[in-house]
Amino acid sequence: MTSSMTSVLKNSAKTHRPNDTQLAAFGAELDALRERTLTDLGERDARYIRRIYAAVRYTEVIGRGLLFFGLFPPAWIVGTLLLGISKILDNMELGHNVIHGQYDWMNDPHLSGKTFEWDIVGTADHWRKTHNYSHHTYTNIKGMDEDIGYGVLRLFPEQRWRPFFIGQPIYALIFALLFQWGVAIQDLRFGQYFKGKKTGKEMLEEMKPFLKKSRRQLIKDYVIFPLIAGPFFVPVLLGNLVANGIRNLWTYTIIFCGHFTADVELFPKSVLRDESRGQWYYRQIRGSSNLTGSKLLHIMSGNLSHQIEHHLFPDIPAHRYEEMSQEVRAICQRYGVHYNRGPLVKQFSQVIWRILRYSLPSKYVPIKASA
Amino acid sequence: MTASQTLKRLVAPLVDPAVYDFWAQKVHPTLSWDRCLARVVERHVEARDTVSLILKPNGLFAGFAPGQHLNVTVEVNGVRLTRSYSPSDAVNKDGRIRLTIKAIAQGKVSQHLVHNCQIGDVVELGRAYGDMTLPKEPHAWLFVTAGSGITPIMSLLNTLTQRPLQQPISLIYWARTRADLCFSEALHEMSESDPLLKIHTVLTRETNRVDKELDGHPRESLFRNLVPDLERRRIYTCGPHGFVQSVESLLADKAAAFQSESFSPAAVVTTAGAPVSVFLSKSNISVQIASGVPLLEALEAEGLKPAYGCRMGICNTCSCQKQDGTTTDTRNGNTFSEPGAVRLCINSANSDLTLEL
Ligand SMILES: Cc1cc2nc3c(=O)[nH]c(=O)nc-3n(C[C@H](O)[C@H](O)[C@H](O)COP(=O)(O)OP(=O)(O)OC[C@H]3O[C@@H](n4cnc5c(N)ncnc54)[C@H](O)[C@@H]3O)c2cc1C
Ligand code: FES
Repeated sequence: MTSSMTSVLKNSAKTHRPNDTQLAAFGAELDALRERTLTDLGERDARYIRRIYAAVRYTEVIGRGLLFFGLFPPAWIVGTLLLGISKILDNMELGHNVIHGQYDWMNDPHLSGKTFEWDIVGTADHWRKTHNYSHHTYTNIKGMDEDIGYGVLRLFPEQRWRPFFIGQPIYALIFALLFQWGVAIQDLRFGQYFKGKKTGKEMLEEMKPFLKKSRRQLIKDYVIFPLIAGPFFVPVLLGNLVANGIRNLWTYTIIFCGHFTADVELFPKSVLRDESRGQWYYRQIRGSSNLTGSKLLHIMSGNLSHQIEHHLFPDIPAHRYEEMSQEVRAICQRYGVHYNRGPLVKQFSQVIWRILRYSLPSKYVPIKASA
Repeated sequence: MTASQTLKRLVAPLVDPAVYDFWAQKVHPTLSWDRCLARVVERHVEARDTVSLILKPNGLFAGFAPGQHLNVTVEVNGVRLTRSYSPSDAVNKDGRIRLTIKAIAQGKVSQHLVHNCQIGDVVELGRAYGDMTLPKEPHAWLFVTAGSGITPIMSLLNTLTQRPLQQPISLIYWARTRADLCFSEALHEMSESDPLLKIHTVLTRETNRVDKELDGHPRESLFRNLVPDLERRRIYTCGPHGFVQSVESLLADKAAAFQSESFSPAAVVTTAGAPVSVFLSKSNISVQIASGVPLLEALEAEGLKPAYGCRMGICNTCSCQKQDGTTTDTRNGNTFSEPGAVRLCINSANSDLTLEL
């Protein structure tokens, strides 16, 4: 067999789509897994999320405490790292997952998906819309899932090339450094304003919650805590800045690895017509990719390292994804559905490759339903 | 407003109650920014399957009037569950509250409180409610209770007997067997020390009944025999739904006043399509909708516009707090009668509901 033939075979195995009857059975198996897990939720999950909450609190207090001694470089370094870790845990394993309603069954007002706020400039309300709704419902549907390139990047041949994209390696880097801001303003649609479809007043009105939340965050990190530190104003301010930066880079890396690795597929809007449960599951799996690694990686990524499971079961506590993934993989294998996983370095290289490759012109591939 | 309340109000915008509670509870387990938490400080076995718990609430407890009930929230297997329990003692000067709980077969909260609750455990308390309380002026009373319905009545009796009675009081107390009777000794002492207080026990399943113990279900002749001046009594009755209903039909129009409180839930509507009424507590309106239809659709059909996104249970946009009633998850048919978050797009009504909308 020639090598090009092997790669064709491999590729078709990767994009294999079971027929609709098979997909119905496939969906039923995943539904059953979901039910099994839901009935098993209890004490263990409650204890887990409270431990994460405690970890956020302790790392924050110790991190901020050490930063007060920031003139002493080791204290500054450890303090900044701990604060970064605290923000990562708060945003990912705690905030992201709680806001999905994963812990609503506990009925704890402090862990309610509807009201939880997190340590990031974007408001939780806005996130509930762009992420929980648009991204999770319309995962990888071109023109509907705004997470595809976030409106500034071309990551798929199915997106039309424009000369603007030549500079995309630079935009991607800036976007990564300012990721929390990018996510925060995602839904504000400045484009509509610049095109004159929205008045300045409307724009401002829509921006109000974001402005309020980001002002609160900025004052907290760059005024109050530095002021409390008195003479150590500058090291505390810098520490907070770097901690926010660490969190931005990390969340960006994890999120991009979840949907922009080499083998993920895009779908046309037409898939939504009468999409069955099984077809929906199939699209979630084909549009996501997992990271393999240690327990620490899973926790620090808010278990988005199990992006596939997260997209199948967005409302199930994320720390369950690890054990569910064993079964999901076995089910996928039985139905010949490609299950995309790999170590962080490999997956992120593929993301970088996409960023570089699609900054250059490539043949535009009109999107086809994979049926 | 006290100085500390003023201070609290001033700093409130800067405080995240969850963070405050987290650190405060490292200092003391019932400290909280805005929740009334109480610690279990004593536990006594009161009767078969029944215990009394003595609770010490934090400073946010607003007190209760004898005869009222408290919503008690406990965490059982990771889930916070809320049930009503009635203080069973008079108001204590030291602020401690006694609750008396009977374990119901398969009951999630009562089994937990009776069998697993330990001294030192923390529960959350809501505001006291209920209007079976004592009016200022003395009255001739008849208290009719069954099972755990004795609890609020015990609080009333303990309060009334703090002073010599001026008017007659009768208690008729139903239980299955003698082993199920709560507060037997205390009740006996009370009636010994005040001749105006008469206590009658009715045991429905006791095999060796001793003198004065009665048997059988509520009936008019029994009430007439025990309380000849029925017409001038004020009646409070308390117990399981069926018991309260039968007492009501026997006595409601025969006494000076009649009030009742039922401790067990009435049956839920199960025929899909039957109309139920939904009270939207934030907008303060009620609408009639069909049971069995996803709530989002049903409310939209009434011209309401709850927030939604995916309409398939993924995004949590439509989630809202259900304060009361039973819903069914339309995806798997599971019913859910606890208060808590429900996603409107994948839950239908099974009974009348109160939604925080
Ligand atoms: C105003 C008020 C005051 C109350 N005060 C007290 C009190 O002081 N002491 C006390 O022990 N209880 C009291 N109750 C009853 C209590 O609130 C719970 O209903 C009871 O403890 C059962 O809860 P559970 O979680 O154990 O049972 P659940 O898990 O809710 O129910 C299990 C099963 O038992 C049935 N059931 C529910 N409640 C009862 C009941 N009361 N009797 C018989 N079957 C029932 C249910 O229909 C279900 O089938 C009061 C109830 C009300 C409404
Ligand atoms: S509308 Fe998305 S969960 Fe109900």
